[in-house]
Amino acid sequence: MKRKTGSLFAWGLLLMAACCLWPLQCPAIDNSECFDCHGDTGLTKESTDNILNTEITESLYVDEDRFDRSVHNLNGITCVDCHSDIEELNYDNEVPHKKNLKKVCCASCHEQAGEDFKNSVHMKLRTKGITMTCYACHGYHYVRQMEGASVTERENSICLKCHNPYQFHAWLPSRSSHFANVECVVCHAPDVPRHINLKIYDLVSNTFYDSNRLFNILGVDFDQLMKTVDKDGNGIIDPDEFETLVLVLKQKNIHPVFHAELVADISSIAHHVNRGTAQKTCRKCHLANSPYFKTVEVVFNRDDGTVDSYRVDRGVLETYYVNHFYLLGGTRMKLMDRIGLLILAGGACAVGLHLTARILTIPLRRKNEEESS
Amino acid sequence: MRSESIDNRLRLQQGAKTGMTIAEPDRSTENKGASTMAHAHEHLVYIHPAPVRVWHWINAFGFVLLILTGFQIRYAEILHIMPLRQAISLHNYVGFVVIADYFLWLVYYIGSGRVRIYIPDLRQVVTMAVRQAVYYGYGYFIGRPNPHEMTPDNKFNAMQQQAYLAIMFIFLPAQMVTGVLLWKIKGYSEYINLLGGIKVVDTIHVLLFFFFTAFLLIHCYLATLGHTPLAHFKAMVTGYEEAGDREETTEKH
Repeated sequence: MKRKTGSLFAWGLLLMAACCLWPLQCPAIDNSECFDCHGDTGLTKESTDNILNTEITESLYVDEDRFDRSVHNLNGITCVDCHSDIEELNYDNEVPHKKNLKKVCCASCHEQAGEDFKNSVHMKLRTKGITMTCYACHGYHYVRQMEGASVTERENSICLKCHNPYQFHAWLPSRSSHFANVECVVCHAPDVPRHINLKIYDLVSNTFYDSNRLFNILGVDFDQLMKTVDKDGNGIIDPDEFETLVLVLKQKNIHPVFHAELVADISSIAHHVNRGTAQKTCRKCHLANSPYFKTVEVVFNRDDGTVDSYRVDRGVLETYYVNHFYLLGGTRMKLMDRIGLLILAGGACAVGLHLTARILTIPLRRKNEEESS
Repeated sequence: MRSESIDNRLRLQQGAKTGMTIAEPDRSTENKGASTMAHAHEHLVYIHPAPVRVWHWINAFGFVLLILTGFQIRYAEILHIMPLRQAISLHNYVGFVVIADYFLWLVYYIGSGRVRIYIPDLRQVVTMAVRQAVYYGYGYFIGRPNPHEMTPDNKFNAMQQQAYLAIMFIFLPAQMVTGVLLWKIKGYSEYINLLGGIKVVDTIHVLLFFFFTAFLLIHCYLATLGHTPLAHFKAMVTGYEEAGDREETTEKH
C-alpha cells in the first residue's frame, strides 16, 4: 500500500512538471511579436507578378490599430490562428518564420460560409478560370464587425469592388435610392434574413454620429441609455419609448436624424448569390406587412470596432421620428390612411347627400316651376 | 372683348368660320319643360377657349391615371390593378404630362391676362360665397336660380373662384413639386432634407392625393348640375356653355 502511494506521488510530480514545461516546448506567438516586424511600414518582399511575370515589391505591413478593431481580433483570433503554419519564430534567421506561408483557408473556421459559397455564382467562376478567394471581397487583416456598417460601407467594401450596379438595373425604379438604402444581398441572396438598421445621422457634417462622442455628450453608456429608454424592459423600444430616446438626445442638444437602411443579417447564407435568382418582385418589400423589415435595430458603432444594437418596434418606422426614411407603401403611416379615408368619405358623403336631396326634391322643383310659369 | 352672349345666327356663323359644328339644343326637353329653359337654350356663350379645353381634358385624364396608380402604389397589398413597377412608371410619366399641362394652362392664362378670373373681388367674395353655398345647400333644391351667371370674364362663382385659386396656385404646384422630389429621392435629397425629410414630403403628397381624389368626385358631381346632367361636360368639349345659367335649375332632373 505504501509503495503504491509513493508511485502515485511520483506520477503526480511528473505530470506537474510536464504541465509547467509544456508552454516552453510549444511557445504561443503573441501578436506583438508579429507586429515587431509587420508594424513597420517599410517591410516588403520581392515577388513576381503572375500576370506579366515581372518583379514587384509587395508590402508586408499590417496596420496594428486597424487590426485591433477587426472582428477577428475582437474575437480573440491571433495572427498564428490563421497563419497556422508558423509554429515558432527563430530570430537567428533573416525571416524568423517560413518565407512562403500557406494560403489561409477561411473555411476551416467559417465552414458554413464555405458551404454556402460553394453554390454561388462566385464559386462557379472557377469554371472560367477565375478564382474568387474570400479575401478578394472581405480583405485580409481588417475585416470589420459589419452589423453596424452602413449600406455604403458594406457595398463599397465588397460588391462594388467589381460590380457597377448602374449597368444592370435599368428596370429598377428609383435606382439611386435603392442603391443608397438597400444592401445588394438583400435582393441578390434571396434566402438571407434582412432587417432595418437605424443610425443617428448628423445632417450638418453629413456623417453618422460617432457613438463614443454621442455617449460622452449624453454622459451615460449604452446600457444605461437603453435602460432609461426601454421603460418596460421588454428589450424592444416601442414608438412611445422611442420618443423618450429622442427627448434624451434633444436635451443634450443633439437633434437626431435617424437614417434607416435595409441590410442583410450577418449570415453565411449571404454568400448564396446566383445568377437569375435575385429578388425582383417589388411587392416582396413594398407592403405594409413585408417580412423584410420585420426586425428593426438601432445600432451604435464604437471606436474599438464593437457594435451595440437594440431592437426597435417596426411601428417606429411609421413615425415622424424616422423622418428621413420612407419605404414606398411599406412604412406608410396608418394615420395618413385614416385621414385619407375621412377626406374621401367626406367627399363621397357630400356628393351622396346632395344627390339624395336632389332626387327627393324633384317634385318640389317641378311644383315650384309650374307655379312660376 | 367679345360680347358675353351671342345669338344663334352669330354662333352658327362662327361655327362655319372655325369649322366647328355646334349641336342644336335639344328642343324636346324645352317642349316638355319650362319656357325659361327654351329661352336659355337659345343662347350659347363661348366660355372655354381651346387651350383651356385641351388643358382641362389632359389634366382630367392625367388625374384619373395618377389617382388609380397612386392607390396601386400605396396599397399594393390590397389592390392588384397592375404590377407595382408598371404603376410607378406610369405614375411618373403621367405626372410629368400633368406638369407640362399645368404650364400650358399657366402660359395661356397669364399670357392672355385671363388669369384674373381666378382672382376674387375681396369686397364681395365672402357675401358671394355664402350666397353660392346657400344656393347649393338649399336654393338649388327648391328651384331657385343660380346666383352666379357664367360669362367669359366671370366664369367661376365665388366658391369655385376660391377653390380653383387655391388648387391652381397652391395645391397643384405643391403636388407637382413633392411628386418630382419623390421621383428622385436620392438626387433631390438636399431639398427633401430642407423640407424636413422624405416623410414630410410624402405626407404633403399623400394628403393632397386624397384631397384631389375627393375633389375630382365633387367636381364631377357638381358638373352635373347644369341644365342637363351632361351640359357642362359637353360645354367643356365644345367650348360653348348655355347662356342664362341662372335658369338651369328649372330643368327637372
